[in-house]
Amino acid sequence: MNNTESVELNRREFLKGSSFATLMTMLGGVELITPTPARAVDLETLVPFQVKCAVVGLGAWGREILATLSRLKTAQLVAVCDTYPVSLKRAASSAPKAQGVEDYRKILDDKEVRAVIVGTPTHKHREIVIAALQAGKHVYCEAPLAHTIEDARAIALAAKAARKQVFQAGLQTRSNAQRRFLLDFIRTGATGKTVKAHAQWHKKQSWRATSASADREKELNWRLNRETSGGLVGEIGIHQIDTLAWFLNVRPVSVTGFGSLVQWRDGRDVPDTVEAVFEFPEGVRLTCEGTLANSFDADYELLYGTDAAIMTRGNKAWLFKEVDSPLLGWEVYAQKDQFYKETGIALVANATKSTQQGEKSGDDVPFSSTSLRSALESFLINVNEIGSAVEDFGASFDPNDKAALEKYLAGIKLQPRAGYQEGYEAAVMALKANEAILKGEKVAFKKEWFELA
Amino acid sequence: MKTNLFLLAGKLAPLVLLTLPLCAAENWVRYDALPAGSKAKVDGTSTIHDWTVESRLIAGHVEFDSGFNLDQPAPGKVNAHCVVTIPVRQLKSDSTKMDTVMYEHIKQKDYPRIEYRLTEMTLKEAPKTPDAPFLFDTKGELAVAGVTNKVQMPVAMTRVGKDKLKFTGSTSVKMTTFGIQPPTLVGILSTGDDVKISFEWLAAKKEEK
Repeated sequence: MNNTESVELNRREFLKGSSFATLMTMLGGVELITPTPARAVDLETLVPFQVKCAVVGLGAWGREILATLSRLKTAQLVAVCDTYPVSLKRAASSAPKAQGVEDYRKILDDKEVRAVIVGTPTHKHREIVIAALQAGKHVYCEAPLAHTIEDARAIALAAKAARKQVFQAGLQTRSNAQRRFLLDFIRTGATGKTVKAHAQWHKKQSWRATSASADREKELNWRLNRETSGGLVGEIGIHQIDTLAWFLNVRPVSVTGFGSLVQWRDGRDVPDTVEAVFEFPEGVRLTCEGTLANSFDADYELLYGTDAAIMTRGNKAWLFKEVDSPLLGWEVYAQKDQFYKETGIALVANATKSTQQGEKSGDDVPFSSTSLRSALESFLINVNEIGSAVEDFGASFDPNDKAALEKYLAGIKLQPRAGYQEGYEAAVMALKANEAILKGEKVAFKKEWFELA
Repeated sequence: MKTNLFLLAGKLAPLVLLTLPLCAAENWVRYDALPAGSKAKVDGTSTIHDWTVESRLIAGHVEFDSGFNLDQPAPGKVNAHCVVTIPVRQLKSDSTKMDTVMYEHIKQKDYPRIEYRLTEMTLKEAPKTPDAPFLFDTKGELAVAGVTNKVQMPVAMTRVGKDKLKFTGSTSVKMTTFGIQPPTLVGILSTGDDVKISFEWLAAKKEEK
């Protein structure tokens, strides 16, 4: 509901909390920090509603989803599904009261289940998501929506047609308060004219899972096979590409890719080291690179402007100002961190609001929310909002008056999230980048690729 | 035989009485709420800032005795029925937290609808031009959170096109008279007891089948 919720710089907190020591270190970097939103705490205390949900797909990420949902009081886990019985057993610790099923269709037949969260391997999304939407369920589908653009389009079209239901793509940073704060900050022009953007994801890991059964091992390692995998850029980079393209507020013109198998030559045909260069209008380029062969400097995103650069890492963000950039005013009091020879100014979301509510911000309060939690929280609130609006409308007016119902639903304020359009466009960008990487060539984006007929 | 006739008449009497309202209903002109174009608003105060909640969903109907001629209305009492309901869950502010607190105080789970029933309607004066509003004094019963109170309010009615009527009005009430404790968020804010309820309600003439 609060997609218009304002985010404010931590000016007061900076002034209030500035110590002599802070002032002495002012020449260093300033960190942009997001304290836990007070609303989330109050909502949990009040338990305003509960959505009966089911999780389909209980691999590593599915279990993360399950664990997060189990900590949200607005979620009531009634069913979990996986084709592998061992995964069902493992899930029991997070959802002891949920019924375990091996066939997702049992969940769709259960009238009690209102929302389905799909965290299966990407290439299995299409069948499950479309069936769930057709069964009248609200659906949260992990990103990427699919491993092919054709499947992603089919999912997005099914979601578009399901007007009475919520569909959310698992591009979780769209629900992250810090990122939304940054978006507003960037839109004010504080970074100047956009120069370029960069995303990095470095991890030393094989991506390979082992199992005693050869069939199970093949099933587990779907990411290592071109037929079923979106590759590093499709499976991981999609979140960074989506965030930066969102900040840039424009669609890319082309993408050129490079990929190689440097470290993990174990029979896989998916590169372990990739680079993709997206070209945007006016000469702006986004370089996106990832590797499974080296972990140096982990993962971050950088947006370069003529007045300042912004770096995001996890839930934190920093501003690096040019010496000739205009003075914003508050930055002299702001918390700063040193990055080698650079000074980062911390950017903090919702800090003034937190201060009004008597809360501490900054380093005193550990960030207790993750992007996944924010995204699932948004999803559940939106399910409740849309669900109750459909119910109340139907009780008051002709529920078959589709035009009137759609008009009413369009006016409902929803929590920030990635919908089917955002999910689809991100899939187009990332999967075309993967195609460019595999072919080692440039792919020019066509306008119609982004449009849903 | 005589006795039997009396007995029969006695048996038929309730049926006759039951059919009376049905016959009378034929002489009523009914307008049903439209699903779009309406807005109910509740404005209140707090120790930090004023607050507002709004609903775009107002269901219900109004019906006038066919003797009430919209083209040549006569000032005085108008024979009219009106029932209006608002689903509590559709009252929204800018804050989910605020809404949650409000629903709890208004006992939404037990009393999911706010209901208004008209008991008396008096046309103060006939509109001087076709576009001018009809100004009424109304009396009615407002049911919130399981408590029904009598309310009086001036209501303006405007003709919209050929078959629609738009009603606007407002009244002030105290939350405590409905058994609602003004919400307080510990250490943050407390709300005032007085609230102003205002509405714009659009209804269209029921099509005869």
